Amino acid sequence: MSEVAESLASRLAELSGTGRVRTDPKSLAAYEVDGRAPSAALLPGSVSEVAEILRFASAERLAVIPIGGRTHMDIGMPPQRYDLALDVSAMKQVLAYEPRDLTLGVEPGITYAELDRSLRKEGQFLPLAPSFAERATLGGIVAAAADTPLRYAHGTAKDLLLGIEFVTGEGVISKSGGRVVKNVTGYDLHKLLIGSLGTLAVITRLNFRTFPLPPGRRMFVAAFADLSGALTLGRAIMKSPLQLRVVDLVNPRAAGLFTAYSGSILGRDSWLAVVEAAGHEKVLERHARDLASLSQDAQATEFVALDEDHRERLFGCLCDFSPIAFGATPAATVFRIAAIFSAIPALLEDTRKLAECHALDCAILIRALSVVYIALLPPANPEVYPELASCSRKLMTLCVKSGVAPMIERCPLEIKNALGIWPPPGTEREITQRLKHVFDPHCILSPGRFRGGI
Amino acid sequence: MSGTPACYPAPKIYCKQEVVEIVRLANRYDLSIVGRGAGTGLSGGALARQGGIVLAFSRMNHILEIDAENQRALVEPGVVNLDLSRATEKYGLYFAPDPSSQKSCTIGGNVSENSGGPHTLAYGVTSNHVTGLELVLPDATVVQVGGRNMETPGYDLAGLVIGSEGTFALVTEITVRLLRLPEEVRTLLAIYESLEDATDSVVDITARGIIPAACEMLDGWTLRAVEAYVHAGFPLDSAAVLLMEVEGVREAAETQADEIIEVCRRHKAREVRRARDARERALLWKGRKEAFGAVGRVSPSYYVLDGVIPRTKLTPTLLRVEEISKHCGLVIGNIFHAGDGNLHPLILFDHRDPAQFRRARAAGEEIMQLCVEMGGTLTGEHGVGMEKNELMPLMFTETDLDLMRKVRAAFNPVGRLNPGKVLPLGKGCGETRLQPFPLSAGGNL
Repeated sequence: MSEVAESLASRLAELSGTGRVRTDPKSLAAYEVDGRAPSAALLPGSVSEVAEILRFASAERLAVIPIGGRTHMDIGMPPQRYDLALDVSAMKQVLAYEPRDLTLGVEPGITYAELDRSLRKEGQFLPLAPSFAERATLGGIVAAAADTPLRYAHGTAKDLLLGIEFVTGEGVISKSGGRVVKNVTGYDLHKLLIGSLGTLAVITRLNFRTFPLPPGRRMFVAAFADLSGALTLGRAIMKSPLQLRVVDLVNPRAAGLFTAYSGSILGRDSWLAVVEAAGHEKVLERHARDLASLSQDAQATEFVALDEDHRERLFGCLCDFSPIAFGATPAATVFRIAAIFSAIPALLEDTRKLAECHALDCAILIRALSVVYIALLPPANPEVYPELASCSRKLMTLCVKSGVAPMIERCPLEIKNALGIWPPPGTEREITQRLKHVFDPHCILSPGRFRGGI
Repeated sequence: MSGTPACYPAPKIYCKQEVVEIVRLANRYDLSIVGRGAGTGLSGGALARQGGIVLAFSRMNHILEIDAENQRALVEPGVVNLDLSRATEKYGLYFAPDPSSQKSCTIGGNVSENSGGPHTLAYGVTSNHVTGLELVLPDATVVQVGGRNMETPGYDLAGLVIGSEGTFALVTEITVRLLRLPEEVRTLLAIYESLEDATDSVVDITARGIIPAACEMLDGWTLRAVEAYVHAGFPLDSAAVLLMEVEGVREAAETQADEIIEVCRRHKAREVRRARDARERALLWKGRKEAFGAVGRVSPSYYVLDGVIPRTKLTPTLLRVEEISKHCGLVIGNIFHAGDGNLHPLILFDHRDPAQFRRARAAGEEIMQLCVEMGGTLTGEHGVGMEKNELMPLMFTETDLDLMRKVRAAFNPVGRLNPGKVLPLGKGCGETRLQPFPLSAGGNL
């Protein structure tokens, strides 16, 4: 270790406690972000330690990236600077849980799976089911605005987060929101932190509303010969009074990846509509009847209700779409595109033509009929990167022109560097930069990772 | 409520360009600007506390587009809340936030205050139903935040601006998400001999996994005042009623209604009535939504509070409110969104009697402190405005408030928009320090 690094380690050990500082290369490799490792990793145990560290980092102008379960670190541009990894995984307490109020307060480092197990004991759940649930932390899920198949019924973190405590880039401890299910007191600063990728503050506490587990649930899969059948069912569901918790559509290539990942579910050559209802038996029966009928009207080739084992596996695949695509080929480039329903057919037709033109395969997931995931799947061969970059650039341009909201969630570093992952900033650019300055005036938090170069 | 008169008559604006021009004028002549929808807010948000220009959005009231297929509508800020749901009803769609003032309040006002209503228990407040905004900033630039899509890459600026009470920007266009009208609605009225049995029922209903679309409570005093005015069929000799609604597919609404009835009976409900038809349902809701008006008939003035507590603290909180009522010598009625713990105590007083006025204000502050002590918040849906800005330190540290000031300054650096609202007035900041004046006469501002 160099003299500078030793001095840094010693000062950091004072701030974070001996044993909670990592400076050896092997440990630091685990904290790499886009191939860049920090000089040190710190594991604070409390909000005051986080504040101390950030005050020190701010004074020394050290760049800090907050890190949880490291499951969504692919999202964002490569950091411009990266000195310290602030690993919050040691902060994993449930701080308050009142089941009868359906509210919860947790530290950021608790994993979704661990929290879910606690909540289930009380017959409740937090509908944020992310990818890599065993490792994804609540702080990371919120900071990355991680998606979930349950959004069709429950929305996203924006709809579930009641309040937050955080530490700014200057080491100031602050909070917004509250702990009750309804609250409009003060400015909703916590809304800004959702999806901010740690560029504004480090989250140290999150308050959520929880939900009772439904008395029963049933997942159905309808298979279609083509996209139009699946979309016809989607449109019919939107117009129906049915109350579904999952409505995801997957293309044949994605269905194939799911099969390879977790065993056979349905035919590989079909578009699949995966829908789930919840409630009492009478409610499930009603949904089964209506969905079968709507699927038939939409020319489904098959309609089945899944047993619990298949349901679990398919639900896991839906959560893990992006990592599954990335697992299929490390060169996968996964777009996350928010789109109104009527824009989806043209978007997918244009994507099909583009991918065909560049000889790329496409796995597609349409999440909750409102967010389209497109994974461009080239062979794992650096020679294809120019082709992949060209296709990705055209897709990004096409999305921006057609009014849908794209970003690249995962891609090879070469593509990130060549193309960027964000659409160009719009009229909000200046106000966004001013807000960044308010929270992090010295630009020490995740510098360069966010939209607009923030 | 009355406020400092505006220095200039409220210009009625018709389009975004006029908003931009007026903001430029305000900059040239160094005037503050207060956006105003219908002025129905209950925390003084639309009052020109320090004079300046009141910008009335009531003529910018066009529904620009209803996109039924995508369940979106693009509206101007002056569109009346209920008018939007009426216009979209033919498509089987509606706008979920339903404040009691929905016949007159505007969507722009709902955005400013992040308004709620009885049905927010199941569907959330305004921020859960807005996907995009067009803003005019105090420097007259026009900024789009969010859009029609459910999410936009970047910071959630729409989420931040909604509920900022007109202190960040003027809103000139709003994209809202519309919900599908439910197939079945079941409305229930549970009647109790004791307030405690009613609050225990509320906690037990949610503990059993039922989240009603709405769960409202009226205490004995309030329901008698309402019954005399609305004739909704509330029993005059009861201690409390719960007005509850479950909705969704027929089978779910039926099952949940049966379960709720069972819970209410277990908690000694004297009777649980089901609304037999749409007329009965409308009458019960009229009783709830016109309750403030009913109270206005029996008292020269009243002060509507808005605080939130965890729903498990309903019983001890209401007992404390009763004690406060006794020691301040004023009647306090209770009507509130019980399901989400959003209290609306109504303190009755005579504004012509300065002593009563002072006691009403002190009682209000005591109840707000109580809400915070119980783990709750200062406002669930009415906003902070100029009513509670000086109470903000009950919930937030000076550091928290300082960061909020800086965030406001990022949008509104010289405090041109709606000065004197939301945050406590800083000493020596140049803003006129007025006493909070939270008292309402007749429930309308």
